[in-house]
Amino acid sequence: MLASIGGMFSSSANEAIQVQEIVAKASHASYYQGKSGRAKVQMTIEDKQKNQRIKKFTILREDIKNDVDEGQKFYIYFTYPSDERGTSFLVWKHLSKADDRWLYLPGLDLVKPIAASDERSSFVGSDFLYEDVSGRIPSEDQHELVKTTDNFYVVQSTPIDASKVEFSSYKSWIHKQSFLPVKSEFYDKNGKAYRVYEATKVETIASYPTVVESKMTNLVQGSHTLLKYMDVKYDIEFKENIFTEKYVRTPPRAYLK
Amino acid sequence: MNKMTNWAMAHSRLLFSLIGFTVFLVIGLVAIPSLFPTSSSYLHAVKIDTDPENMLSSNEPVRIFHNEMKQKFGLYDMLVVGITNPSNPQGVFTVDVLNNIYDLTQSIQNMQWEEDGKTLGVVGVDVLAPSTVDNIEQEGVGTVRFEWLMDHAPSSEKEAQVIAHKASRIPFLKDTLISGDQKALAIYVPITSKNVSYEVAQKIQEKISTFQGKENYHITGLPVAQDQFGVEMFKQMALSAPLAMLLIFLLMWFFFKNVGLIIAPMIVAMISVILTMGALVISGQTIHIMSSMIPIFIMPIAVLDAVHILSDFFDRYPKTKQCHLTVKEVMRDLNSPMLFTSLTTAAGFLSLAFTPIPPVQVFGIFVASGVLIAWLLTVTMVPAYISLLPQKSLDAFGKKHCEIEEEKSTEHKSWMDKVLTWTGKFSYQKAKGIIIGTFILIGISALGISKIQINDNPVKWFEKSHPIRVSDQVLNDAFAGTYMAYLTLSPKENIQVQFSTSELESFDPKILSQLQNHLSKTLDQKLDLGDMKKLEDYIFERQDSEVDDETWEKWDEAAQSVSKKIQEFQIFKRPDVLHFIERLQEYVLQSGVVGKSNALPDVVKTVHRELFLGKDEAYKIPDTAPAVSQVLVTYQGGHRPQDLWHFVTPSFDQTNLWIQLNSGDNRDMQSLIDAVDEFMKSEQAPLSLSHKWFGLTYINVIWQQKMVKGMMESFGGSFFIVLFMMIFLFRSLWWGLLSMVPLTVSIAFIYGFIGFIGKDYDMPVAVLSSLSLGLAVDYAIHFLARSREIKSKHETWKEALEEVFQEPGRAIVRNVIVIGVGFTPLLFAPLVPYQTVGFFISAILLLAGVASLVILPAMITLGQNYLFRSKLERNKS
Repeated sequence: MLASIGGMFSSSANEAIQVQEIVAKASHASYYQGKSGRAKVQMTIEDKQKNQRIKKFTILREDIKNDVDEGQKFYIYFTYPSDERGTSFLVWKHLSKADDRWLYLPGLDLVKPIAASDERSSFVGSDFLYEDVSGRIPSEDQHELVKTTDNFYVVQSTPIDASKVEFSSYKSWIHKQSFLPVKSEFYDKNGKAYRVYEATKVETIASYPTVVESKMTNLVQGSHTLLKYMDVKYDIEFKENIFTEKYVRTPPRAYLK
Repeated sequence: MNKMTNWAMAHSRLLFSLIGFTVFLVIGLVAIPSLFPTSSSYLHAVKIDTDPENMLSSNEPVRIFHNEMKQKFGLYDMLVVGITNPSNPQGVFTVDVLNNIYDLTQSIQNMQWEEDGKTLGVVGVDVLAPSTVDNIEQEGVGTVRFEWLMDHAPSSEKEAQVIAHKASRIPFLKDTLISGDQKALAIYVPITSKNVSYEVAQKIQEKISTFQGKENYHITGLPVAQDQFGVEMFKQMALSAPLAMLLIFLLMWFFFKNVGLIIAPMIVAMISVILTMGALVISGQTIHIMSSMIPIFIMPIAVLDAVHILSDFFDRYPKTKQCHLTVKEVMRDLNSPMLFTSLTTAAGFLSLAFTPIPPVQVFGIFVASGVLIAWLLTVTMVPAYISLLPQKSLDAFGKKHCEIEEEKSTEHKSWMDKVLTWTGKFSYQKAKGIIIGTFILIGISALGISKIQINDNPVKWFEKSHPIRVSDQVLNDAFAGTYMAYLTLSPKENIQVQFSTSELESFDPKILSQLQNHLSKTLDQKLDLGDMKKLEDYIFERQDSEVDDETWEKWDEAAQSVSKKIQEFQIFKRPDVLHFIERLQEYVLQSGVVGKSNALPDVVKTVHRELFLGKDEAYKIPDTAPAVSQVLVTYQGGHRPQDLWHFVTPSFDQTNLWIQLNSGDNRDMQSLIDAVDEFMKSEQAPLSLSHKWFGLTYINVIWQQKMVKGMMESFGGSFFIVLFMMIFLFRSLWWGLLSMVPLTVSIAFIYGFIGFIGKDYDMPVAVLSSLSLGLAVDYAIHFLARSREIKSKHETWKEALEEVFQEPGRAIVRNVIVIGVGFTPLLFAPLVPYQTVGFFISAILLLAGVASLVILPAMITLGQNYLFRSKLERNKS
């Protein structure tokens, strides 16, 4: 009898470990491949009336620690359209506290720290949020494996602090081999899907399965944003410490090409 | 005509069966599709339409533009929920009230339902409330912060005050979301379409009723007013119209004292209304604000002819005691005046079919049909009905009156006869004075008419004490105005750009030739936005497929050059253009009717200020277009990036100013339109801009303009048609002209009166001119026709006049009283347009009656030699 109780415990504990593991791996696959990375991104925002706006930026990334998925630094540099050229963001992502964010506006020659208490605001007017760019931290949600299909783990994630976010939960379809979430659906407070993320194209680059095209659809507003990642590179050696406020004003051209 | 009456009297039972059958058929055709909507697709159910927008046809340019712009700028019709808390010095910024508001906002955002596969209700993402809008402000030293203004309900009074303070610093929110004194708050609720506003308002009301606090909630906005109007319209139709019927019935009973007889005109009116409204529904027309008034217009006109018959029958029957004979005699005398009064009335209304306003056309056509139906029923059913009455029931009819008549004693004459006799004498003796008086009256009226204020306001269709009016008042006092007018600006001519030689030299020659090939145009020519987009797409395509870093760079340079040119199309990023808009905003603010305006410069300035430590001196537009662009990108980093597109198109080639008026009066909107026209003409814009309005407040002005012009034209047209009919009827130009005198005087007087008392010339008032035209001429026709007929039996006009003022005079007076007084219940209607109609119908009938009985005999007296001699001569020859 004792054994059977123990068995019950271990099986549910196993499952708990399993979902944590899936989620951790998924986060790793999406945001932590290699020690660093770079991509040129073309962003196409299309609204309900089919108006298209195209923006281009280069994104640089460096992890604080090589072996564990912890803090990260991002550098985002806009190249297109020309009147936004030079606009840059610097993000220091922390696991235990709010991120640090800086914004540089060349037209005003202004470097501005931005309070990132709320990461669920729009990324430059697109359907992506800041948090989609830097990655939501797995420990902010409670995860549950709701289904396992031939190809996917379907994980339902519920925020621990619901007051900080606009969704009530989201569901991710995590690919079993690559651990890349190929689809996520966000549900509003009534449980209705209102926002959908899709990885529409995946390629293996430098042995890492990499999302090279993704799409975020806002079902309520009828808009969507398409991201095309080009010229993706991993494990770049950044010679200088370019992820600092100083470099926001003087972009590290060598790495942005 | 007599044949028709004779046939009807001979085949009364068949006639009644036919009429009864038709009535039931029509009722059935309306009831079946209305009660069982799915039963047949050929039949039309009752459809109600309370939308004043439909005063204009749906393909009217102003409406097409309105809808295009609404879509382009992502705008919806809006309800406004205003919250005040007079009993607390902090207003609504207390923990309790803000908690309720937070709760209410959440419920409102979720007010959606499915219908026919479409989601209807509130457009949740666009709700403007403290918990749904962003606040940008400083946090710590030099850090800019985006946050929800109220991301959770406050738990302390201090927190509540902070929210008020924060909102007051955001120009977009101050006086829009929170009142200038930081005491009141408004939630703006966009809805999928106007016709859900009543349902949404009900749901909001339901939620509000669960709150315990002392705060007051006011729901307003044009859509609510319009939907509410529809609801009350029904109450009106169900209550006031039958009440009017009852009063007419009682008055007729007072005059004729025979229920059996007076039932006849009542039935005529009822059947006319049923058949007309039935035909309206069956033909697929909607019951609109205008068409809902059809019964009220048909009823007096339908009763009018029958009252003439009854009145004459009442006077003659006791002398002959021969029912059948009397009816025939009465009908013979009345036939042609009745036909002509009906034709002229119908012509008056039918002329409305030529106005450019669809609901008015429908109104005119169906009232005209109703009038003709009523005439047909009157000349057939009424005589048939009377002749069927058993002799016994008529025994007492008119007896008393007759006995009095025989006594010929002045002391025993009824008051009506006394007045009539006196009037007859007076008009004969003081003919000159009356004519002079009439001219003076017309002169004064003309002065009044010149003072007429053309104005309308759908919210003012409700009485002052109505919750909608009260809410409207409270919110427009507290905020900068709840009436939104939108003004769009765009370049007058399509912009074209050209690459300069030095710009072209910056391109890689190989790339340049590829670009020119792709476009099949050299780049030194004038290029439009389409050309540039083509270039942009091509460059991206080529650049993306490029692996060589150096060539990639070159393509990137080309992309930059093209992008720079594309920015020349984005004129609303230009600081000089934004400064121009700023000046325009200041200018409209001085017009006195505008509480506030929100536009692109406000967004730019606010974000710019917060980027520069929130200092007031940084509340300005930056110096370069790229700087503006980057400020706006920063703004779009908030929670509601889509808000920017309410003010400008994503291609920045058209901008939209939200102008808040604190009154929905067309007059005020008109003065704003004039002010902006003036500004655009006198101020030098950096490039030539065209401006265009949209929004419900503006649409109301346009349909009013069409209405006023259309009504005047149709009135002018029908005046002449009626005049020609009169000339034909009397076979005399002078008699024809004479018959137009009472209506001309009545209309001049009524409109002069309207001008003097400062009553706005609005929709019902405009329609009244046609009503008075149709009715006022009736009395004149009866009076003149009978005068001529009686004169032929007498030697002198003086003698004839005495007789005219007996039987025919009584018929006119009875008519005036029955119908004039019968419509007073409309004065107690909850809707102002019905009150207006009620008051003026009564006034017009009274006036037309007096004018016919006083002015006409005076004029005939003065012109008797000419008027009667010419007739005599004509008869001889």
